[in-house]
Amino acid sequence: MSDLYLVYKNLTRKKLRFFLTFFAIFIAFLMFGALTAFDSALNAGVELSADNRLISVNKINFTQPLPISYVRKVQTVEGIEAVAQFNWFGGYYKEPRQQVMTFAVDPATLLAVYGDDIAIDEERYDNWQKNQQGILVGKAVADLYGWKVGDRIPLHSNIFSKQDGSSSWAFDIEGIYTAKYPQADTNSVYIHYKYFNETQSFGGNFIGWMGIKTLDPKLNEQVIKAIDDMFANTPFETETVPEKAFNQSFIAQLGNIGLILSSVVFASFFIILVIVGFSMALAIRERTNEIGVMKTLGFSSLRIFKMVLMESFMLIFLGGIAGLFTATYFLGFLNNAPQFPLPDLILSNDIILKAVAIMVFLGLITGIIPAVNALRLNIITALSRR
Amino acid sequence: MTDKILYDLRGVSKEFVKGKEKITIFDNLNMSIKEGEFLAIMGPSGSGKTTLLNLLGGVDKPTSGEIWFNGSRVDNLSESQLAKWRAGNIGFIFQFYNLMPMLNAERNVELPLLLTNLSSKQRKERVAAAMELVGLSDRAKHMTSEMSGGQQQRVAIARAIVSDPKLILCDEPTGDLDRKTADEILSMLQLLNRDFGKTILMVTHDPSAATYAKRTLHLDKGEFVEKELTT
Amino acid sequence: MSSIFSQIFTVIMMNIRSLPKRLWMSFAATLAISVVVAVLLSFLSMSNGFKKTLESAGSDKTAIVTRSGSKSELNSVLSNDVVNIITTAPGIAKNADGKPIYSAELYVVVDGIKRTTQTKANLPMRGIAKAGVDLRGNVKIIEGRMFEPGRNEIIVGTAILREFSGFDLGTTVKFGKSEWTVVGIFSTGGSAFESELWADARTLQSQFRRGNSFQTIRVLLEEPGNIEGMLEAVKQDPRLILDVQTEIDYFKEQGEALNGMVNLGWILSIVMSLGALAGALNTMYTSVADREREIATLRAIGFSNISAFFGTLTESLILSVIGGVVGTLAAYIFMDGLTTSTLGGNFTQVVFSFHMSADLFKSGIILALAIGLIGGFFPALRAARLPVVLAFRGGA
Repeated sequence: MSDLYLVYKNLTRKKLRFFLTFFAIFIAFLMFGALTAFDSALNAGVELSADNRLISVNKINFTQPLPISYVRKVQTVEGIEAVAQFNWFGGYYKEPRQQVMTFAVDPATLLAVYGDDIAIDEERYDNWQKNQQGILVGKAVADLYGWKVGDRIPLHSNIFSKQDGSSSWAFDIEGIYTAKYPQADTNSVYIHYKYFNETQSFGGNFIGWMGIKTLDPKLNEQVIKAIDDMFANTPFETETVPEKAFNQSFIAQLGNIGLILSSVVFASFFIILVIVGFSMALAIRERTNEIGVMKTLGFSSLRIFKMVLMESFMLIFLGGIAGLFTATYFLGFLNNAPQFPLPDLILSNDIILKAVAIMVFLGLITGIIPAVNALRLNIITALSRR
Repeated sequence: MTDKILYDLRGVSKEFVKGKEKITIFDNLNMSIKEGEFLAIMGPSGSGKTTLLNLLGGVDKPTSGEIWFNGSRVDNLSESQLAKWRAGNIGFIFQFYNLMPMLNAERNVELPLLLTNLSSKQRKERVAAAMELVGLSDRAKHMTSEMSGGQQQRVAIARAIVSDPKLILCDEPTGDLDRKTADEILSMLQLLNRDFGKTILMVTHDPSAATYAKRTLHLDKGEFVEKELTT
Repeated sequence: MSSIFSQIFTVIMMNIRSLPKRLWMSFAATLAISVVVAVLLSFLSMSNGFKKTLESAGSDKTAIVTRSGSKSELNSVLSNDVVNIITTAPGIAKNADGKPIYSAELYVVVDGIKRTTQTKANLPMRGIAKAGVDLRGNVKIIEGRMFEPGRNEIIVGTAILREFSGFDLGTTVKFGKSEWTVVGIFSTGGSAFESELWADARTLQSQFRRGNSFQTIRVLLEEPGNIEGMLEAVKQDPRLILDVQTEIDYFKEQGEALNGMVNLGWILSIVMSLGALAGALNTMYTSVADREREIATLRAIGFSNISAFFGTLTESLILSVIGGVVGTLAAYIFMDGLTTSTLGGNFTQVVFSFHMSADLFKSGIILALAIGLIGGFFPALRAARLPVVLAFRGGA
């Protein structure tokens, strides 16, 4: 038997009350874990953006086109390692609701810029490069629709139509790429720009935007200036920004999701703070007589103070750790569920640390007043309260 | 019973201030308890019995005067020092047992030993011995809330003696028990006193309980009237 | 013993009168419930406002024509030829000269800066002619004037002015290389169109190098909701690879983008409700435990156990209703009317305000009552089943 044992026995004295408060804490930390992981996945695109990559779009808006000649011109800028090109295809598979993030690219330059993110077998990539009707598919998409290398699949575009009037293109799956690190995107598919451009009905040689890899992040600023200056005062002016900034502004457009999620999490913690706090206070008050007896037996006020605090900490930690554990399972389940367009949800060490800090804080807040009351309890008063 | 004085109250006064009134419980009280005594203190309500017990238990401090225990002063100790002193010297037995409902019998008995430096093994030995002495070894793992009044009081006695205190203070130990059980408890106290030399001070309103003690003091309005009884 | 109802009433009154003793625990449960309700209503009012903004833009008198499969105005492309063909389809209202009433429009995206966060936002710029303004019927120029055809002039919706900087009357805005002057501010009664910039269609075509193509056509229907004639024409003519919808249906689809938000809101609220439920149960069990002797005594006197049951249940329901009302009020005070914008189906910002309605209030109260009901049911059961002997047992 030890102080810890006494604390545990006190805590679990009234099974129902213990379970209910435990459950409230469990819920709050379950939500914290899930929502924070969600928020972090949403921002993963931002966090994991490479420092030495830039995005160059039409200055009016990224939905406006750029001439394809820009790719060659940009390659001549000093400080650049490689330039990739993208067209948004607006793809869907079988029905418009089943959107597929499809990009028309130049296979020769895709890996040169994004090779750090995309993991693909060299031979397969080679095959894809050689087949103009080939398509490189991300693992998440492949899993969702059960596609395999060698399949021939149709993709529609909700923007473009073919010269023959239809909007359905056929592609051969030449490779399935995976993420080189957790939370990297595998929700996109890549097709040949040449095939796309020659078969689409609009004509003209346009691209959507360029992805640029610089030799060193320190050169970013001068490269940005060089590119935008090059095309200033032309009919197609560019705006070049670091990849991180571009991704950030994208998410910002959704609205302040971070704020919403934090508010919900805060609200949950507030609820349990109130519930658990008052419950603790009541529980300690009910034990006034016993505390008096403990003090009479010779337990110091400080020791009793510590025991009360230990009790609130124990309650919070038990519920909190159970909540985080369950969150992990829940996230795992979500990650494997189809139709999930986000990068993997992970309960990172960062999040766990934050959770522990919150547990300490909550344990303190809910326990401090009952603990101080117990500390100050006068033996005679306590024992007379029969 | 030896001639060594264990507890000595010298000129002890205790006053309470209630609003504008000053209530005097004791005024210049003197009292001594010898080692090995079994002393009963009787008196009507309002006589100061409880206050005296609180003073002797180190749970309250006198307004003036000195209290000496085993050769050193205790009335001027700090609260935490008093707690330590109580743990090492006093065993308490209450009218309503005051056991911890969430612990079983032997854990209740072990409680005071958490205030010592004994190892887990040593604690278990002491607890076992105490439980045997009060005859509850076979109920060691039972929850005290499932026991009768008499059994609970026996657990309380075991708790009171487990750390081998110099003085056992009892506050109406048989107040909640029927006659037969009361006699059993009182006999046990007698045993502790006679065979183990424990000094016992018992506050009671029950005259027949007082007969188990060696000496009875009557308290009335804060003053003693002595009545010696021999056994 | 008197009727069951007066028994129940008596017990309820006793419970309520003794509430102050359990003030803090009751307060905790009530507060928890109000927080849950407030969170739910915040989500619902957000989606409600978004839907309202979109749906008020839609009319069943108007049909929208887009290229098949495009799903939004932005993605669609319609050549001038197609425009001429489809507008001869049956079912389209005609003007005094016997010409079909329609508006061929463009829809491009330009960059704007959000006032609150100073971050970039996609804003919709619509190329429109007088026909389009007339078609919508509720357009009012509240400041300045309408743009003149052929000039680089734009008018901005009131929502744009509110949420994004740089579009005050008279300012010159630069989109890429082209410069435009803001000559007017328009309102459409709070619909999604107020989140748009409007310019002359022809000017937009030349500035954005669209040749002679458009992106959508809006037509006035002869009969509200009846697009059969047009659908038939599309079926028959292989040159017409188009989707035809009433404007109402079109916006409804756009609004479905936020269904995810509503579902998320409900899921979060229900999960949080479980936490609040734990608090409510805790409070009510404590309440019953506190009054064990009281309840048992009443039963000993002759009160039925049904009265004990309802007494406790009612206490729980009252606490939860108070929590629900407080939560609703809080959501109303803090959220109603709050404007914000988010990415709509067109990849452009839609400005909307959080909108509380009677429906939402109902949802909030129902949630609160549900928690109160479940939170009170089991403790009430326990109160009803308390052994009467508890009234007689001395001490605790």
